[in-house]
Amino acid sequence: MIMMTNRQWLMTGAVVVLLLMLPLFLPNFWLANILGRAMVYGIVALSLTFLAHYGGFISLAQTMMAGVAGYAVAMMAPTAIPLGPLAMSYGYAIPLAVLAATLTGALVGLIAVNTREIYLLMITLALAVGFSLFAQSNTQWFRGYEGIRNIVGPEVFGMPFRTHLVFYYVALITAVLMYLLVLYVVRTPFGLALQAVRDSARRTSAIGFSVALHRIGAFALAGFIAGCGGVLITFYNIGITPSSIGLWPTVAVLIMAVIGGLGHPLGAFLGALIYAVMDTFASSIIGHDRFNTLIGLVFLTIVLISPDGVWGIGKRLAGLGGGKEPITDPVAKLTAGGK
Amino acid sequence: MTSNSALPTDTDALVLTGVGRRFGALAAVSNVNMTIKQGERRAVLGPNGAGKTTLFNTICGDFPPTSGRIHLFGQDISRLKPHQRARLGIGRTYQTSLLFTGLSVLENLYLAVRGARKGRFSMLKAGPGDADVAYARALADRVRVTQLLSAQVDAISHGQRRQVEIGMALAGNPKLLMLDEPAAGLSAAERPELVALIRSLPRDLTLVLIEHDMDVALSNSDIVTVMKDGVVVVENTPDLIADDPVVQSIYLGGGH
Ligand SMILES: Nc1ncnc2c1ncn2[C@@H]1O[C@H](COP(=O)(O)OP(=O)(O)O)[C@@H](O)[C@H]1O
Ligand SMILES: [Mg+2]
Repeated sequence: MIMMTNRQWLMTGAVVVLLLMLPLFLPNFWLANILGRAMVYGIVALSLTFLAHYGGFISLAQTMMAGVAGYAVAMMAPTAIPLGPLAMSYGYAIPLAVLAATLTGALVGLIAVNTREIYLLMITLALAVGFSLFAQSNTQWFRGYEGIRNIVGPEVFGMPFRTHLVFYYVALITAVLMYLLVLYVVRTPFGLALQAVRDSARRTSAIGFSVALHRIGAFALAGFIAGCGGVLITFYNIGITPSSIGLWPTVAVLIMAVIGGLGHPLGAFLGALIYAVMDTFASSIIGHDRFNTLIGLVFLTIVLISPDGVWGIGKRLAGLGGGKEPITDPVAKLTAGGK
Repeated sequence: MTSNSALPTDTDALVLTGVGRRFGALAAVSNVNMTIKQGERRAVLGPNGAGKTTLFNTICGDFPPTSGRIHLFGQDISRLKPHQRARLGIGRTYQTSLLFTGLSVLENLYLAVRGARKGRFSMLKAGPGDADVAYARALADRVRVTQLLSAQVDAISHGQRRQVEIGMALAGNPKLLMLDEPAAGLSAAERPELVALIRSLPRDLTLVLIEHDMDVALSNSDIVTVMKDGVVVVENTPDLIADDPVVQSIYLGGGH
């Protein structure tokens, strides 16, 4: 299990402070379209990393869970074009959308409760593609191909959500909170039991845990995380369309998580950042068609040289340069006083 | 017979009636009838492939019986899921250690403590001085892995894993404890510790022990059940079992 030592907490703090100060140095484009974007997609990738690393579940349904939140907030948004019958203030729409994604996560977990590995991959892929096709064909609620537009998000301190600074800071704060949430939960009985299921489902039930309920709970939490990302992505794109939750975006989340490294929640954000940078710059240089080939090659290269992604490379480099990890008190690690 | 030879009580802890388990065409266990009293120490002997582990699996629910009934303290548990049986007071170890290899020794034991009580979905970390953590540490002391609390399980030795196995089986304060070859792979030095641990178990705990080591098995049981080819061939007290012609033919025949 991942433990943060004092040094790591210090480094995390330093990185967060740096990120908070970046608007002083960086142009708006970088803030919103590279970093902000990396953070909101990174949250969806984090939801996959959480399931994969701690539960051993590789799911392709994360984009779908995010999409449920995206469509839900769009249907309820007061600014939506066309305006739906459910229109309400963002103050209600956002939490309801995240709730919808959480319930969707639980439902996916329930449907896939007895499947593993390649079968889990196939079932979640089928659900993801099925949902996107449904959104495409449903004109009444999902507005078909066109999707729902003008989802600009709430005003924050009187400023429009899409202001670069506002978007950047909200994305940053949400990303950090989700990251810390994952690191915290995996040290609670619920999160430890999830890792127990990963290591031995038989033993987990032999000591009294319902493996099925824990799997469903893990997917619900993953749905919650993906839902937070999905709402922000919808604000980022100022709306949602079926193609934004289709096959390619579904696979893209897996690619981000793997490139960054499934071995640590941080990998999700690293992967999303690399993806955003390549998507932005490589696309304009080599053309968007070739971008898929390029990202495919990067994916292959990373998987071949470092199965635990960029995070794994970083860890090995740090291991070469840095000293040994300090020995931590096992009890402190388990209890609230621990770091 | 040894120090723990006090008579078991009259309560039936575990009753198997016509229990069988098939794997496809293979009848791994067939028509086993067995009554184990509360507080009894029962040893199960038999050559490899006799169906001893499968019998454990039918009792704990990992592979429920395909025929017959199992009653635990009078309650029919034949259809219950493994975690439901565990909550009724069944603790077991596995012949090949099944531990949470990505977690520390303390986390393994702590989870086993938490699994036995409510709040399994708690998303709150244990507070300082948490009673469950303290109990997990006490278990670690009991199975002599205190120095390894923070070690990740995939980094500890085989013998140490066997100790953690037992610690986890004890964590829920089970009424029925089933140990599947706990001495397998232990060094000669580690065996007496295991025997001491078995002898220190509370007297009202019911113990079923699968053990190849005849000495360990015979000196720690009130009644011995011998299995072969999925059926019970003999059931008797330890002093009579060694001279039993059927048992001699199985063991002298080099069955294990
Ligand atoms: N999960 C299983 N699937 C198929 N066959 C099994 C399974 N478990 C045990 N068996 C078979 O059942 C028989 C009894 O095995 P087991 O109960 O492990 O014997 P023992 O513990 O006495 O050595 C063996 O032939 C074994 O191959
Ligand atoms: Mg066996």
